[in-house]
Amino acid sequence: MSAANPSRPIDPAVLAAREREDILVGDEIVRHKLSSRVIHWLVAVTFFVCLFTGMPIWTPVFGWMAQFFGGLSVCRVLHPWSGLAFFLASAIMFFDWLSDMIFAPHERKGWWGPKLIHYMKWEIEEGEEVGKYNGGQKLFFWSVALGALGVLVTGLLMWFPGKAGSLVMQLAYILHDVTFILFAVAVVFHIYLGTSAEPGTFRSMTRGTVTRKWSKLHHPGWYRKVTGEDPRRR
Amino acid sequence: MSTQNLEIRRSSASVLGGLSGMRHVPRVAKYIDTTTCIGCKACEVACQEWNDLPNVQTQQFGSYQTLPTLHAEFWNLIRFSERDFDGGLVWLMRKDQCMHCDEPGCLVACPSPGAIVQYANGIVDVNPEQCIGCGYCQTGCPFDVPRFHPTTTKMAKCTLCVDRVEVGLEPACIKACPTGCLHFGTKNDMVALAQQRVAQLQANGSKQAALYDPAGVGGTSVITVLAHSDHPEWYGLPKDPHVPWGVKLWKKVVRPLGGIAILGAVIGAFGHYMNHGRKGVRGVAAEDGNLPEA
Repeated sequence: MSAANPSRPIDPAVLAAREREDILVGDEIVRHKLSSRVIHWLVAVTFFVCLFTGMPIWTPVFGWMAQFFGGLSVCRVLHPWSGLAFFLASAIMFFDWLSDMIFAPHERKGWWGPKLIHYMKWEIEEGEEVGKYNGGQKLFFWSVALGALGVLVTGLLMWFPGKAGSLVMQLAYILHDVTFILFAVAVVFHIYLGTSAEPGTFRSMTRGTVTRKWSKLHHPGWYRKVTGEDPRRR
Repeated sequence: MSTQNLEIRRSSASVLGGLSGMRHVPRVAKYIDTTTCIGCKACEVACQEWNDLPNVQTQQFGSYQTLPTLHAEFWNLIRFSERDFDGGLVWLMRKDQCMHCDEPGCLVACPSPGAIVQYANGIVDVNPEQCIGCGYCQTGCPFDVPRFHPTTTKMAKCTLCVDRVEVGLEPACIKACPTGCLHFGTKNDMVALAQQRVAQLQANGSKQAALYDPAGVGGTSVITVLAHSDHPEWYGLPKDPHVPWGVKLWKKVVRPLGGIAILGAVIGAFGHYMNHGRKGVRGVAAEDGNLPEA
């Protein structure tokens, strides 16, 4: 019998988070359904394989990273394939989340700078009720999409040497590096915000759910939509 | 001579840059006099033989030249540039091979430690054991020399017969040349010999004759006397070769700035945590009971 032990039934919130999201289960709200979480983890894992196989090729300072894979020549073989996997995973994630990532009119300005600084000071924009994603998250989403395309195109040129002219290759190397650097900087803050800076966020990528309190604080508009309750009421 | 010539002066992707040798080894050079080359291709054969390279299928593309361009298994190619001078056809011969630059663009671009080395005697060599076949050196080279070998997945080019030079022999091509247009020795001696020939050519009416030893790459260990030095492009040589700007920008500017940016992001995130802490309710600092956690 494959049925779960009747004395320990599967948590209904976990069960619900397998197939549906944006629903209230008990005192938890499902933020990411299982498939979305799996896709995001695929993106994360392939990103880190790319990072650790790419950085020793980028500079000898990180040459020690190559030892995890069996040397620099293994990295040279692995990096393009993991890059291809990263792009494919990113493409699936892009279409999975696209409909939630369209900028609302008030999100179209300022998130590249002033609003981002404002946000990082933990100041909340009055009169703007944040939905499932805020402007910064949407900007990150679009930057990742553009970046994934950038490293793919330049990476394909670098995969097969001697197919393009010197000038094209010089441009490809520089763009591949610049894109990776922006990626690395953004990912540092992405992970920081998703873990220690905003507690209660990381579980949305493991268990799939968040608490009411978390939702009221970070995404009151989404909370209102899912629960039908006023997020300002404590 | 012993293996002292194998003392390394510079190595690719070394964190602290040059590996300065203790011994003072003179720079060597190959001097090519293009005006006395008859296009016999003996040097091509000698190169293939000494380096145990297979027979490469020649290509007919409307020229006496063996191949249109250098090949991973063909490191020494005599180029037959045809030019019209006052109604007469002239072959401008050139020996196309690695120039062994003093500032090698290939070595600058190479990401694998020790895959490209410059020996104290000036010879620039690819070390197949360290080469990862990324092809960066191809972009770094201003003379379009290194070639990717699809079977070995390594880069290949002329070694200036470093295995011969280290035991006191001259490169195989020099040994084979029947007209004496190839010479090998210390760089100083070869420059002196080449200047003599330039003076002779100028006296004989070739006013534009000069030595091609481009300063843009710090000079080369393969120096060439050209009868038409005002038009090196006639021979397929760049007028002012240098390490490509893109490669310099990439390695010398983008890479260090990127490292600082990534380190800055990590420090910045840590500093932010110490300064602003966790996100709390309505801009109030997060405290127990004020945290959004369940």
